[in-house]
Amino acid sequence: MADVELSGLTKRFGALAVVDRVELKVAHGQLVCLLGPSGCGKTTTLRLIAGFLEPDEGTIVVGGRKLSGPGSALPPERRNMSMIFQSYALWPHMTIRENVAYGLTLRRLPADEIQRRVAAILDVTHMSQFADRYPGELSGGQQQRVALARALVVQPETLLLDEPISNLDANLREEMRFEVRRLHDEYKYTTVYVTHDQAEAMTTADLIVVMNRGRIEQTGTPRQIFEEPNTEFVARFLGGTNILRGRRLGGSGPEIVDCGAIKLVCERGRGTGETAPVSIRLHQIELHRSQPPGDGRNVAPAEVRRQVYLGATRDYLVALADGTELRAVTPSDLDIAAGTPIWIRLPPERCRALAS
Amino acid sequence: MARRRFDPSAPIFALFALLLAILVFLPMGWLAVFSVRGPDGAATLTYFAQLVTDDEMVRPLIVTLIVATSVSTLCTLVATPMAWLIARTDMPFARPIRLLVMASFVTPPFLGAVAWEILAAPNSGLINQVYRLAFGLGRSDRLIDIYTVYGLILAIANYTFPYVFILVANGLDRIPSDLEDASSILGASRWRTAARITVPLVLPAIVAGTLIAFLQAMNNFGSPAIIALPAGFHTMTTKIWSMFQYPPQPGMAAAAAVPLLAVTIMLLHLQRAALGRRSYAVVGGKGAQARIIRLGWLRWAALAYCGAVVSAAVIFPYIALILTAFAKTLTITWAPEGFGLGNFEFVFFEFSSTKPALWNTMLLGVMAATAGTAVTLIIAYVTSRQAVPGHRVLGFLATAPIAIPGIVFGVGLFFAYTHPPLVLYGTLTIMFIAFLTTELPIGYQQFQAAFRGIHIELEEASRILGATRLRSLRDIVAPLITTAVVSTWCFIFIAAIRELSAAVLLYTANTKVLSVVIYDLNENGELGAIAVLGLLMLAVTFAVVAVAYRLPRATSIPTSA
Repeated sequence: MADVELSGLTKRFGALAVVDRVELKVAHGQLVCLLGPSGCGKTTTLRLIAGFLEPDEGTIVVGGRKLSGPGSALPPERRNMSMIFQSYALWPHMTIRENVAYGLTLRRLPADEIQRRVAAILDVTHMSQFADRYPGELSGGQQQRVALARALVVQPETLLLDEPISNLDANLREEMRFEVRRLHDEYKYTTVYVTHDQAEAMTTADLIVVMNRGRIEQTGTPRQIFEEPNTEFVARFLGGTNILRGRRLGGSGPEIVDCGAIKLVCERGRGTGETAPVSIRLHQIELHRSQPPGDGRNVAPAEVRRQVYLGATRDYLVALADGTELRAVTPSDLDIAAGTPIWIRLPPERCRALAS
Repeated sequence: MARRRFDPSAPIFALFALLLAILVFLPMGWLAVFSVRGPDGAATLTYFAQLVTDDEMVRPLIVTLIVATSVSTLCTLVATPMAWLIARTDMPFARPIRLLVMASFVTPPFLGAVAWEILAAPNSGLINQVYRLAFGLGRSDRLIDIYTVYGLILAIANYTFPYVFILVANGLDRIPSDLEDASSILGASRWRTAARITVPLVLPAIVAGTLIAFLQAMNNFGSPAIIALPAGFHTMTTKIWSMFQYPPQPGMAAAAAVPLLAVTIMLLHLQRAALGRRSYAVVGGKGAQARIIRLGWLRWAALAYCGAVVSAAVIFPYIALILTAFAKTLTITWAPEGFGLGNFEFVFFEFSSTKPALWNTMLLGVMAATAGTAVTLIIAYVTSRQAVPGHRVLGFLATAPIAIPGIVFGVGLFFAYTHPPLVLYGTLTIMFIAFLTTELPIGYQQFQAAFRGIHIELEEASRILGATRLRSLRDIVAPLITTAVVSTWCFIFIAAIRELSAAVLLYTANTKVLSVVIYDLNENGELGAIAVLGLLMLAVTFAVVAVAYRLPRATSIPTSA
């Protein structure tokens, strides 16, 4: 049974549906990432789950208990959840120990039990030596750990994270991604994690939910989302990709899309309607100095517009006969000067036709 | 299934809004009614016609315009360089000068006017006495006469320039100096950078300061009441006041209040536009340390300049008040036997008005400060957290009184509460309403700023961990807002105990406050007693300011009309 279940969840601000008929099931112990650009409704969805907002339509059911519906929302304090905020929201007038103990004090645990559990969680998050400092005396990364400790110590049924590490600098961000995942593997709370950073989602999530304009574009494992995007939005949002557009030629067998300068056989995906976008990842395009041997499918002449040496790879911009530009990433030892005529091949097993 | 319990906050806030609306708009409504209602009860525009045709009305209008324009120009010309010298140069003693400017800021203008009366009255003025003594001149010779339009402009400007100073100095403090460095690196000279970068960035603050100074001068009642009336001319505020003396002309007074109200609203709008449109000038926060310009030997000239300004506004007037408080006679003899404690004995043991006035002032100050703090705290919380629908209305109502000059509000209150069903005239309640309402904007601004500093996620973090709204208010918000509560209380208290322009229309024999007593004493020429009461008022003010500034976190000075 799903532990967190959103059905038909809708929230409007004025006439704008910020969250639009969202359907989602999060299994017990799963870590789900809501991923999307700013303004896509992911944070609003999280705040609806937390109970800071009341939905206009739809329901939120957690562990079989209906928490939110139009006109009836259990206040946040009675949901047995924890949340980690973008600003960390550490209380500046309390020490680290007091911050972490607060949730336990509210639950009226005996003092020695509180002390034991606070000590344990500070140990897990490597923050024991800072217990008597104030939040203002800690670095961003340390504050982040305190926020994690404060949220985890109450052993919530559900853990909510709102862009928890986007305020950290790049190195620390990478470290904290694995830290979040490590703590999740240790405690296995049902977790909803909001982020706009695809690498963060890939590292931490069991399930990624890509959102756009208040709606869910696609739900799947990180691998599914990356390799089998259903829409142009998802393909573009996760990892660099080239999108070519063309007329669908129909017929049985694999999808064939006529893009003008190149006719693409797409062994993956299926379009809808008259035309379809085709997605192919940057590193999956092959560049050849001369016409490649084989059946000639998905091959076309092109010209190198520019190329950049990036150490491990080279980044090429190539143009087809009709001027359509494509980006390709190759091993760095393939060095073809700008202006050189070449051949490109878009392997059919890598081309994915998308719903339009 | 979660059932939402009945939420009592919505009807409570609705009631709150209604009460505020009554507080603010009932007096203004009556003001409007009286301004167009003739003696026979029929609608008429004669009062407004009189306003622009009757010489008795036109002259005060012109005087007011001259005074307000001169004061705002003078303040801008004097205070802008001062702000720059203190914020951006190595002028010595910048900190004491800043403190003296603050002292001028909290000095009640009517008290400053009295002090300048003591300094520069044509015969008894200390400056003229010294002048005659120094040059061996006769009794009719004088250096300066305060009972003139120039004297009035001087007396008002001395206590108005801090508005410009504060706005410009804050503006300069907030310009990140890398904006100036960027200009220097491109090859601009120091002066060119100042002219092309610094001045344009701080210009909105200068314009805003000028407008505020204009409003302060235009709506000032105390200074012209003390200086213009003996000199035989009126400004609009004193003219309005005179219409409540015998024979009363309430309709005319109401009509005369309308231009003050209209100009105030208009200029506040302009001021907001000036500060708002180029808000990039004041964002960017505390970047690098502001670059200090070295003045060389000129810094002593700069100090002399700033010293002269604060001497005129604070040092000399305060010396005059202290001398007068201890002097036995009005003509100061300079000999030790000419000084004594007679004035203190008179004020504290003989003068029958002192005790009730002190009591009334303190009572009203404490009540207005306490109620005002509570009300604005709640409103600011509601608006900053957008806790109830219609919170914007509450915010608007709490800000609206800023656009109502004290004397105009006094006139409105007079009309609103002198006839059934609400006869409050002659009670302390009407004074309380006046002080509370006029000080709402100060408190609201303070708390808005404070709540902006308390991220809403701090509260949400405690809610999600299991605290109810009340519990998180107690555990999280209350400790973080304490500083703002104390400082707001102090600001309202200071503003309330010095209020004169509304009080002077609303007091009766039993409800005199300190400012009114000082005003009365001035009409009788009791300068010694005034000096004692004035010093007392200043002592209380400075004590309260000291409390406010000793709080752990610095609070901003309200810079409103």
